[in-house]
Amino acid sequence: MDFSWSDQQRELLDAVSRFGREQLTYEVIENDRNAVFNHDAWKKCGEFGIQGLLVPTEYGGLGQDPLTTVAALERLGYACKDNGLLFSINAHMWTAVIPLVFNGTEAQKRKFLPGLCDGTLIGGNAMSEPNSGSDAFALATTATRAGDKYILNGSKIFCTNGPIADMLVVFANVDKSRGQDGITAFLVEKGAPGFDPSHKIEKMGVRTSPMAEVFFENCEVPAENLLGKEGGGAFLFTRSMTWERGCILASAVGSMQRLLEKCIRYANERKQGGQSIGKYQLVASKIVDMKLRVESARHILYHYGWVAGHRKAVYLEAAMTKLHLADAWVKCAEDAIQIHGGYGYMTEYEVERELRDAIGAKLYSGTSEIQRNIIASLIGL
Amino acid sequence: MTQPVEKILVAFKSVPDPYEAAAPGDSGSTAKSVINPFDEIAIEEALRIRERGETSEIVGVTIGPSSIDEQVRAAMAMGVDRAIRIDDARLLDPYAVARILRGVIEKEAPQLVLMGKQAVDDDSNQVGQMLAGLLGWPQATFVSKIELLDNRTRARCTRETDAGLEVIDVNLPAIITADLRLNEPRYVSLPGLIKARKKPIDVQTCQQLGVIVEPLTRLSSTARPARRSAGTRVESVAELVIKLKEEAKVL
Repeated sequence: MDFSWSDQQRELLDAVSRFGREQLTYEVIENDRNAVFNHDAWKKCGEFGIQGLLVPTEYGGLGQDPLTTVAALERLGYACKDNGLLFSINAHMWTAVIPLVFNGTEAQKRKFLPGLCDGTLIGGNAMSEPNSGSDAFALATTATRAGDKYILNGSKIFCTNGPIADMLVVFANVDKSRGQDGITAFLVEKGAPGFDPSHKIEKMGVRTSPMAEVFFENCEVPAENLLGKEGGGAFLFTRSMTWERGCILASAVGSMQRLLEKCIRYANERKQGGQSIGKYQLVASKIVDMKLRVESARHILYHYGWVAGHRKAVYLEAAMTKLHLADAWVKCAEDAIQIHGGYGYMTEYEVERELRDAIGAKLYSGTSEIQRNIIASLIGL
Repeated sequence: MTQPVEKILVAFKSVPDPYEAAAPGDSGSTAKSVINPFDEIAIEEALRIRERGETSEIVGVTIGPSSIDEQVRAAMAMGVDRAIRIDDARLLDPYAVARILRGVIEKEAPQLVLMGKQAVDDDSNQVGQMLAGLLGWPQATFVSKIELLDNRTRARCTRETDAGLEVIDVNLPAIITADLRLNEPRYVSLPGLIKARKKPIDVQTCQQLGVIVEPLTRLSSTARPARRSAGTRVESVAELVIKLKEEAKVL
């Protein structure tokens, strides 16, 4: 494999860095405290082209390959401190855009993709339920065909972008007797009768990314909003999750790089006992470990991106990327606090927020334990 | 001969990225280049004039070797309709640049020429003025606001001067150079960048333009400024006064 950038990739990645530096360096502390989503930044990212990176050009996207896409998201994560915004963008790209690109009908793609690319529409999915998380396919939400509609009943939890979404990819079972083979995906649009995504959930980190508990009470979905086939939901969900696992922490690699540089600056400036704390071996060693972690995280991410652009089956690589990046990000953020000492624990220094933002990475898109199970099963255990 | 604005020519220069510029004297530098920020403001102004329906075409022009094509594409990605690069790798002084631009202007016949007030690498601040002199056109420099009046045959320009905001009217065609506060340039979007890859760059030479230029100035050397030596601490005001008198000899 070859990770050297072509002139066109470099030009695109430089443009992303510049866009991030000039447009996305707003203050985040207040938004984090009050759990405020930055709509303006979302719109800017859409107009700039982030949400459409992977989408074919005929549907308003940029038709970029997975490696260029993850590298662009990494640069965005480096420039933008608002991990919640990036989390929302990721949820949108991997759980709404990708299923449409791969499973949408021509009419569905024409209707939704241009808006999902240019920032006018916000998407997400609704899968997890109060009683089905890691055992995702045990979901209880039902869909019943009634003429030219489906009627959905049930509730979903941890729905990223729920309160602000224009459309959600919702998973429901059309025939419980078929178990997993009854799971079906639907495109549910804002304002659908019986659809209530207004119940916001407070959380520990990525607080600027809105999350909701979503209710479906005789929710009417037109039959043309069936996504894929009846019973095709489990496969569709698995594909969407594989993309998400491989790519969702690309921006975290940028965030780790930012934390590393912040720690190096602080360790050089902060003097104790007559010298910079970076001269103490225990501090230096911690920062060297951070550097190694960032580099190995970047390598496994680029490797995933490269593989995803060259072959179909990337289930193992996606799980390894997700597991490694989540662990690396949390450890990086934890060490960054330790290096900043008491200041690192204070909100104003913007280090503690990174740890709160990072920890969720071990939970969403399959817990770290689930990733280990997947990897174990794929290496013959 | 006054005609309403139909074509705007914007001149821009490729300069080292001020965010990532290497220190003078650094060898083998891989520093990135960008469009001179003041020229970017001039491009933005041209785009806004077009968006108001006050011109139908914007032509970008720059001078340099093919290594600056990335900045040419950036100008097209911002929205310049077509771009000309005069292929010349020499280090040109402002008079040479002005004479080359005069050649382009005589060929393109725009009614308005915009450019930054100066380039951030050499800070010469002369090209716009020299060009106006060579063409015998009116000029408005350091402009922070432009309005086209009288059916787009006159430009009302606001200039920031020591005396305050000066408003002058220039008949077109004219040269206008942009100051920092004229506008805030838009960023280059990825769709714009990818589209710009498909637009051809019109590469011309001085010879084709019929312009023979030999720079009148020559760069003899570049050196890093001397490092400032560390200061010393004084214990009291009295000691400071003595040192200022006896060592620094400034009192």
